[in-house]
Amino acid sequence: MAEKSPVKEVAFSESIPISNSNQLKQSPQFSAKLTTPTPPISDIPSTPTSRLPPVDADVIHVPSYSRWFSWDKIDSCESRFLPEFFDGRSSKGPSLYKYYRNSIIKLFRENPSRKITFTEARRNLVGDVGSIRRVFDFLDHWGLINYSASSALSKPSKNTASNNKSSDSPSLESPSTAAPTPKQSSTSRRFCGECKSLCTIACFVCDKYDSTLCARCYVRGNFRVGLSNADFRRVEISDEAKADWSEKETLLLLEAIMHYGDDWKKVAQHVGGRTEKECVAHFVKLPFGEEYLGHPLSDDAESGFDPNKSMRLTPLADASNPIMAQSAFLSALAGVEIAEAAAQAAVNILSKIDDTTASRGGNGSLERNAKQESEISSNGDANQNALERAYADAKSQLDKEEQDIERAITEITEVQMKEIQDKILRFEEMDLLMEKERQQLESMKHLLFIDQLNLSFRKNSN
Amino acid sequence: MKSPASASWKAPLKFRMPAAENLVPIRLDIEVDGQRYKDAFTWNPYDPDSEVVMFAKRTVKDLKLAPGFLPQIVQFIQSQLATFRSYAGQDMYVGDKIVPIKLDLRVDHTVIRDQFLWDLNNFDSDPEEFARTLCKDVGIEDPEVGPAIALAIREQLYEIAIQNVTSARENRINKKGRRAAEHFPISKPSGAALDLMKLFRSSVVRKRKEWDYYKPVLDLLSNEDVDALEAKEERSG
Repeated sequence: MAEKSPVKEVAFSESIPISNSNQLKQSPQFSAKLTTPTPPISDIPSTPTSRLPPVDADVIHVPSYSRWFSWDKIDSCESRFLPEFFDGRSSKGPSLYKYYRNSIIKLFRENPSRKITFTEARRNLVGDVGSIRRVFDFLDHWGLINYSASSALSKPSKNTASNNKSSDSPSLESPSTAAPTPKQSSTSRRFCGECKSLCTIACFVCDKYDSTLCARCYVRGNFRVGLSNADFRRVEISDEAKADWSEKETLLLLEAIMHYGDDWKKVAQHVGGRTEKECVAHFVKLPFGEEYLGHPLSDDAESGFDPNKSMRLTPLADASNPIMAQSAFLSALAGVEIAEAAAQAAVNILSKIDDTTASRGGNGSLERNAKQESEISSNGDANQNALERAYADAKSQLDKEEQDIERAITEITEVQMKEIQDKILRFEEMDLLMEKERQQLESMKHLLFIDQLNLSFRKNSN
Repeated sequence: MKSPASASWKAPLKFRMPAAENLVPIRLDIEVDGQRYKDAFTWNPYDPDSEVVMFAKRTVKDLKLAPGFLPQIVQFIQSQLATFRSYAGQDMYVGDKIVPIKLDLRVDHTVIRDQFLWDLNNFDSDPEEFARTLCKDVGIEDPEVGPAIALAIREQLYEIAIQNVTSARENRINKKGRRAAEHFPISKPSGAALDLMKLFRSSVVRKRKEWDYYKPVLDLLSNEDVDALEAKEERSG
């Protein structure tokens, strides 16, 4: 069955004519401009008035967030929402998924003005009904089937009315941000992916497939195939809902701390709406913002022991780590600027010794790692560490030198001994040679003597 | 101590469908208030149970059945699933069994008859894939035939698997001892199971006279034939 109808894309208020040539193989190309899908809320009043062009039988409407669809290819969002076909464990493979998907869509497009039911689809497909249902639901949600102009209007109102932000069914808002990534990291309300109910106390999040389940669904085992209980981790809601500190609140908090110092009760009052615990917790978690505390603190430095400063230091002095307490005390005595300078110098040397990257980064990370709010103590700590490290380094170098010297001496002595030995050997050889020569000479002497005798005999006999 | 008397004795496996996917064939035939609902499909037993209810709701909605169907459908599906699951923990003896699978279905206007051999030991086999290929090769246009074929194959495999399980259970109860256990997988009449040796004794190539049995036969019926057959079925069934 060759598909001859062109495919149009709908962006809630405009339909864009798309040329789709006779081959199914090409993905829809759009020649006209694309409007970014405006949020559905503002569109609802406008769409009834700006009527979509009358739907003729040959034109298929596809919502703009589904324009990734193509007969041949499998998009990443498909593999994300239907992992059972793509994880390689079961024999269901991507080709099987494609078969389901393409058959269902073809079936729908045979008669696009009518919605196909799931039962029709599964009766026509070979396979287990669970998987077919999932593919069908997926296509339905993404508007690749059963999507017509009238349903486009009803869908946004339905979705916004229910304020459904479940993570594994794409709401029509989120696809407009180009990918239906769950927006839950920013929002504080969580909806269960299965039963679409609001999660209250605790919910279970599966990181692998980015889905959220309410406690009830999790207990009932109401999650998709391929997941097990272990894949979910529990996320407490009661903390999260109140966790968002606005800028205003943070500012108030800091102001209050500056005024009241350690009196968290007054701080909480000043901030308003947060308990003491929350104030403390949030304050501790604040980034190490010098930009927050900057000038007021440096002004106080001149006055020496400011009551504020001492208050701020007391948490430190009570710290179980005596070194930290000591360094905090010392740096308080020395004053902010001096301690800063000393720490800076120490860190610089440190970085030179270690060849680590970015002394400033190291300084920054040192600062951040310190869990206190005042930079003084952390710099003092760095100071301490720098001295110790320098001492240790010097000692190790000394030891190394000693060892080197020893080694050198032993080598020298060895070499000299070798020399002597060689010399001895040489002399021995020479000795041997001399001996041999002597013997030769002796024998020659003998011969000579014999010759002389012979000669004298001859002479006498003649 | 246990010396297998023949090569076809194998260690028992846990019960499962002898196919790549452990899917359950489910057949429904429910009558409520004069409305008759007949259906058959494959179900994945690993789907959560909430799927059953969802599926039933959708079916009732899609086919516009009376709401009284809903609990019945759910109950039937669940009971068949439970039967399947009750076998799941048990052992299954599968020898070197090659079974002939017969197809003889009528789906709407299409009648298909076929017979082929299926290896029970092959756990990579895929009845669905087979059904799809068969439909494509034979040129069946009606899309509902494919699922029916796959279902028929699965049902037969299911039957055979169940028989193997029951034979295993009888083994344990049977006090005749080890020898009986070894003989059972071979001699127990589980229908038409053939021994590999017997089958391929002469050669692997099929004899000419058997060709006709083993090829698919496709018939397309006219409307009158369909009506006649349906009437006959209702009278008999």
